[in-house]
Amino acid sequence: MDTITLGEFEQLVLMSIVRLDHEAYGATIRRDIETRTARRLSISAVYTTLDRLEQKGLVRSWIGEPTAERGGRRRKHFALETAGARALKAAHRDYMAMATGLERRLKAL
Amino acid sequence: MIDRLLLAVATRALPAAAREWMTGDLEEEFRRLASTHGRWRARGWLIGESMRNVSRRASTKSRFPKPKVASMSWIDLKLGFRMLVKYPGLTLVGGTAMAFAIFVGVVAFTMFSVVMNPSLPLKGADRIVQISSFDVAKSQSESQQLHDFKIWRGSVHSVTDLGAWQNSSRNLVIPGVESSPVPVAEMSPIGFQVGQGEAHLGRVLTEADADPAAPPVVVIGYEIWKSRFGSDPGVIGKTVQLGDEYPVVVGVMREGFEFPVAHDAWLPLRLQLLDAPPREGRATSVFGRLAPGQTLETAQAELTTIGRSLARDLPQTHQHLEPRVTPYAQQDNMGTDDFAFLFAIYFFLTALLTLICGNVGLLIFARAASRENDLIVRTALGAGRSRIVWQLFAEALVLAGFSATVGLVAAGVFLQTWGTGFLEANLGRLPFWMNLQLSPKTMVFAVAATVFGAAVAGVMPAFKLTRGMNDRLKQASAGSGGAQFGGVWTFVIVAQIAVTMMFPAIVYGERYLMGTIDNFDMGFAAERFLTARIDKDAAQDRARYAQSLQELQRRLAATPGVTGVTYAQSLPATGHPDARIELEGPDGKVTATWATLAAVEPSYFEALDSPVIAGRAFTPADAQPGSRVAIVDQAFVELVLQGRNPIGQQFRFAPEVDGPAPPPEPWYEVVGLVKELGISAPFQKDRAAGFYLPAPPDRLRDQYLMVHLPSGDVAAFGARLREIATAVDSTLRVSEIRTADALNNDIVWVMGLWVKITSVMSALAIVLSLAGIYSVLSFTVTRRTREIGVRVALGGSRDRVIGAILRKPLIRVGFGVLLGSGMVLAAVIALRGSDFPGANTPLTVWHFATLAGYVVVMVVVCSLAVIVPARRALRVEPTVALRAE
Repeated sequence: MDTITLGEFEQLVLMSIVRLDHEAYGATIRRDIETRTARRLSISAVYTTLDRLEQKGLVRSWIGEPTAERGGRRRKHFALETAGARALKAAHRDYMAMATGLERRLKAL
Repeated sequence: MIDRLLLAVATRALPAAAREWMTGDLEEEFRRLASTHGRWRARGWLIGESMRNVSRRASTKSRFPKPKVASMSWIDLKLGFRMLVKYPGLTLVGGTAMAFAIFVGVVAFTMFSVVMNPSLPLKGADRIVQISSFDVAKSQSESQQLHDFKIWRGSVHSVTDLGAWQNSSRNLVIPGVESSPVPVAEMSPIGFQVGQGEAHLGRVLTEADADPAAPPVVVIGYEIWKSRFGSDPGVIGKTVQLGDEYPVVVGVMREGFEFPVAHDAWLPLRLQLLDAPPREGRATSVFGRLAPGQTLETAQAELTTIGRSLARDLPQTHQHLEPRVTPYAQQDNMGTDDFAFLFAIYFFLTALLTLICGNVGLLIFARAASRENDLIVRTALGAGRSRIVWQLFAEALVLAGFSATVGLVAAGVFLQTWGTGFLEANLGRLPFWMNLQLSPKTMVFAVAATVFGAAVAGVMPAFKLTRGMNDRLKQASAGSGGAQFGGVWTFVIVAQIAVTMMFPAIVYGERYLMGTIDNFDMGFAAERFLTARIDKDAAQDRARYAQSLQELQRRLAATPGVTGVTYAQSLPATGHPDARIELEGPDGKVTATWATLAAVEPSYFEALDSPVIAGRAFTPADAQPGSRVAIVDQAFVELVLQGRNPIGQQFRFAPEVDGPAPPPEPWYEVVGLVKELGISAPFQKDRAAGFYLPAPPDRLRDQYLMVHLPSGDVAAFGARLREIATAVDSTLRVSEIRTADALNNDIVWVMGLWVKITSVMSALAIVLSLAGIYSVLSFTVTRRTREIGVRVALGGSRDRVIGAILRKPLIRVGFGVLLGSGMVLAAVIALRGSDFPGANTPLTVWHFATLAGYVVVMVVVCSLAVIVPARRALRVEPTVALRAE
């Protein structure tokens, strides 16, 4: 089966989902990426990417319970699918393959 | 407050499909930032987020999936059908109401379409036209157009198969069969082709029959052949007496053929025998067919050119005459494009349908509100608002569909059974193209009305019910909240009850009017008099006609059982013309006033067995030209003479109020006084001050015969009357034969129909109101069962608790009753300036007491709907109510 090639932001989102595990939903994913990459992200940008990943079959989603801090609104949780895990592993492998031996030169850039 | 506003703005640009969780994320993030970095930092972030969302949505194509617009599925229809069975009360009440609304709409639409927008039931109907002449100076049609027809026949190319017809009514005399008038068309033989008529037996008329030298022939209609000739196939070749002609029957037309309008016999139009100077002769109508490639516009252009040429050649007669080409079915007084009237009718129908369906919507809302948990679960499982709206619309559509079917069937039966009778009572015999059947146009109207009704009854409550569904999800899980009856439903209930109050009042008014007409006292024994209208053939001369009328009177008077025969210009109680007269008062001043004139034959009062009270009766000499005598009735003495002795008083006809002053009229002298003998009409507002002038029968504008039969079957004398009239003069046409006490039966019949319709509407309105009130109260009790239980458990008096719960709905009911009473009173006051009979009757304590009693009755009726919910509320056990969730 062909592995799907991921875009750069898609990789960030998938890695965030892996890190956050059961707590992976729009707000936490955005916060995680923003904190680690210092990028300013909008909620809609995150959901756009999540929706695209779900359409590609790389993630799945389910609706959680409403909570008071969300004004009684429900959460939409995300988790990695097998294809998503395979795609992420391939992307990481490719990145590491390209980056191997360049650590010093990348730091000096 | 600011935060909520900012959040609302920030979420505006979010896609609808994901709005819930994205909004939740925003709120969560806002709270986190507010707690870690302060509220203003959080607000700043929220503003930034808004701008990013807006800019992102504006600049890029949304990658979020467009929400799939829900649509109706067959499952919704299946559920709708199940709802009909599960809630038989609503199905019966709501369904009957909607069926009635559709019934009224379809009947009215069909009748008005047929009258206002008629079309011929013939192939190529849009190409069959009529040509008429219009006098633009007098703003009226010119019917004497035989001269112009001869010219058009030779010069018009855009219209082919040109033909003409003249109307007449002749006695068809058949030995052994009662003779009676038959509508006859003297018609160009081409009319049988244009009207697409084939002979059932024999043949139609041909051009050879129109030759002056040809023997007289006639073609008779199918119904005449059946009713007068007993469907005898041997009728072909028989000679019949038609007026004073003796034509041979050459054909019987196919069933249903009545071209040119509503005719039962056809004679050939012999143009060569008809010498017609311009704008003289008998009334003639012209028909034809548009030539291939021609349109109404091109035909009109050609006729206009010919008309201008005639105006140049014959300026004395044709200067202001314009020929006009119009679709054939749009005859004079038919197909008038009265948009304002049509708009008023369709507005009324739409308002009726909206009101009824709005009330059905109230019942559907109450039913749906009782299934609120079901709808909440559906929403929780992902059903959007549009899904639920479609579901409720489907339920209403199924109900409306069944109702429309019932309404259509009822309308079809009504139109076939009473529709034609109703129209003929108002318009006379209907043209052949006025067929009250359910046409495809009517079906389209019914479908549109059904969908509209379903939208009002289903979509309105659906939107109300699904508004704020998310909040109610939250409240439902917390055990509170739910759908409520809001402002719109309050208006619907109040309006429904107010309108319900009007209907019985309308029925009361109609019955009052019917009773006034039916029980009108004519001042003589009307049931012992037979009346009839006498007409002469158009070609007959006046001298012969006068002789025939006198001979008829003589022979009738000599008939055993008859004690009086007379003529009048108008029959009692059918309305007489008003006349402006002036007379000298006691102070010598001449003042003008209005009175009502009746022209009668001199033996009128003797025949009516109503001798004069004072003075003398008319003599035959009084009917001679130059005679200036009159007899007045008691109303004239009271209203015009203010009680003065009428004998010897003088009056004369006064000029019209705004007209130029003509030479003074001669004075008339009052020679006699009689009691009131029906110069007033029962449907007139005020009592008529009547005066009688004598005239010989042939000089009356119309001749109405009155025959007094003190004993025996008066109605059965009609056949004898026809026999004697035919024997006197076969051209005398006798019609409208009825007893004098049945003169207004047509009006009473039409009013009776209206009473039946408005009675059904009243009953339906009352049942709908009761159902609406019951639904609201029942819903309120169910919703507040827990509250009732808590209050009673805490020591509240059960009655006071119930009263507090039901107070608001009952106030609405009371308001509706008061509003309705106000509307009834306002209508009574508004009618006081109108021509409605009895409108100026002084209002007494009795009238107000009747209105008060009516209000009490309606309150009691509306209270019936309170009983069951109130009893249910009274039976609520606090422990049970508190346990129930």
